[in-house]
Amino acid sequence: MTAIAIEDVRRTYGDTVALDAVSLSVDPGEIFGLVGPNGAGKTTLARAITGTTDYEGTVALFGEQPRAIDRSRLGSLPQSFSPHERLTARELLEYYAGLYDDALTPGHVLDDVGLIDSADTYYENLSGGQQRRVCVGSALVNDPDLLVLDEPTTGIDPAGRRQLWDLLEGLAADGTTIFLTTHDMHEAERLADRVGLLADGELVAVDTPRALIDTHGGESRLTIETASPLAEGDATGLDYRTAIVDNDLRVFDVAPTEIGTVVDSLTDAGVQVESLSWTEPTLEDVYLELTGTAVGRGGQRLDDGAASAAEEPNAPTPPTEGSS
Amino acid sequence: MSRLGRITSETRAATRAFLRRRTAVFFTFLFPLLIVLIFGALVQTQPTGGGLFTEPPAYYVPGYLAVVVLFTPLSRVGSEVARHRDDRRFEKLATTPLSRTEWLLSQTLVNVAIIGVAAVLVLAVMVAVTGATIAPSPWLVPFLAIGVALFCGIGALLGSFTDSQDGVIAASNTLALPLLFLSETFVPPELLPEWFRPLIELSPLTYFSRGVRAVVTDPGAGVEGTVVAVWPAGPDPAINLAILSVLAIVTFGLGALTLPRTD
Repeated sequence: MTAIAIEDVRRTYGDTVALDAVSLSVDPGEIFGLVGPNGAGKTTLARAITGTTDYEGTVALFGEQPRAIDRSRLGSLPQSFSPHERLTARELLEYYAGLYDDALTPGHVLDDVGLIDSADTYYENLSGGQQRRVCVGSALVNDPDLLVLDEPTTGIDPAGRRQLWDLLEGLAADGTTIFLTTHDMHEAERLADRVGLLADGELVAVDTPRALIDTHGGESRLTIETASPLAEGDATGLDYRTAIVDNDLRVFDVAPTEIGTVVDSLTDAGVQVESLSWTEPTLEDVYLELTGTAVGRGGQRLDDGAASAAEEPNAPTPPTEGSS
Repeated sequence: MSRLGRITSETRAATRAFLRRRTAVFFTFLFPLLIVLIFGALVQTQPTGGGLFTEPPAYYVPGYLAVVVLFTPLSRVGSEVARHRDDRRFEKLATTPLSRTEWLLSQTLVNVAIIGVAAVLVLAVMVAVTGATIAPSPWLVPFLAIGVALFCGIGALLGSFTDSQDGVIAASNTLALPLLFLSETFVPPELLPEWFRPLIELSPLTYFSRGVRAVVTDPGAGVEGTVVAVWPAGPDPAINLAILSVLAIVTFGLGALTLPRTD
């Protein structure tokens, strides 16, 4: 039986269309990542799945309507969720565990989300990333068959994020279905079995990350910084398609084993290479290709100029555990 | 077992959350005590004179108790609803087995406990300050509990229909202040215009006042010409408790029904 079946779901807020004819299905034990920038409709679709918003169309969880399903089978983490601030992490998980007939031991869940050392700290005194981990723990505490997580790793540092990814992969391996939203393309690519790309309420593509990249991601890119700016035509001797972007030379569809040959050719042509980087196409490229919109690291939409800035290695990063 | 477990878990969490907000606890108890001190010690009752406080001290027991029975649930539950909505806690709870009725019942139990303690303090301070003669009665317990449940229901309604915690406080004060003085609590109906008196019957607090006064005031405690007519000569506490109960069921039910569970 399908874990999540969504057919022709539409949700409007006044004149704003938050979801438009969205259909997809998720199999048991699958990790499905819904990707898009802020305002794309991710949270609305997550709410439709958990039955916490009204909508047109149909949603079925294991064959039942979201509001009719045995709630012990469902675990959810809403976006911007914040529990009682003057309860400790342990007390909060005990509280949510107490709402179910059968629940996991709160201490074990705290251990799983990496918070056992802060178990007796008030929620309000935890860092932002630790708080988010408590919230993730509250969704896990009833050992659900279906987890709906709305941006679960927001604010969590890279190490904590990887720990949660491992945890979620372990749960999926044991049969838990996971539906998560994220604006972090890398997270979706790393974690999800399949990815749905949502733009302005419309689901523009659904497939495995690899298939999406192969189909829509374009070519690999070799970016070469030169000692002096190049002009169009300076690299015409290369057997590859090239472009000048922000004074850097971009060479497309170069296999890693051919990088040395390209550099030698440029050197022979009198071009002094300062540095170079090679990148494979990613889901970001897929999203940009299919929607014409780039997604910033904070989830914001980027126009063309901002999209270029986002590619810079020193672009600002959102606050994480260390900074809160 | 599971319903009891859910209510226990919610009640425990709500109690901890309240008791750890020290300023909220402090002012929850300070406010009614201030009212007793201002009216009971500074203004004082003048049974032989004219004006507002002309009844014997015991007449004002329902009024002082109403301060906590009315204000605390309205503001606390209303604010809690707004806080839960703003922090997406209802959205989370909607995906758990906890029902809206169970959530409101848990909040009510917390309020009953808080207000029970506050009521004992108010009565003790009142007796000490005013010298009032009060007949302790077990009837006080159901009156307090049901009165609290009634106003918890209204607090839930206020929290659901206002869009912020500030809005809840403003709305609860606007509602509570008239009710406090126009429900046979501090102001005897004889002091109000005749055309207004039927409106007193519309206030749920009136039935709390009549019932509480009937059970805590000694028969004949009033002075000549006053309205202190207590049970069995005056209002029947059972009838007032029954009316209060019906109203409590209605407001509690509506309050639970309107709690937000979706966006």
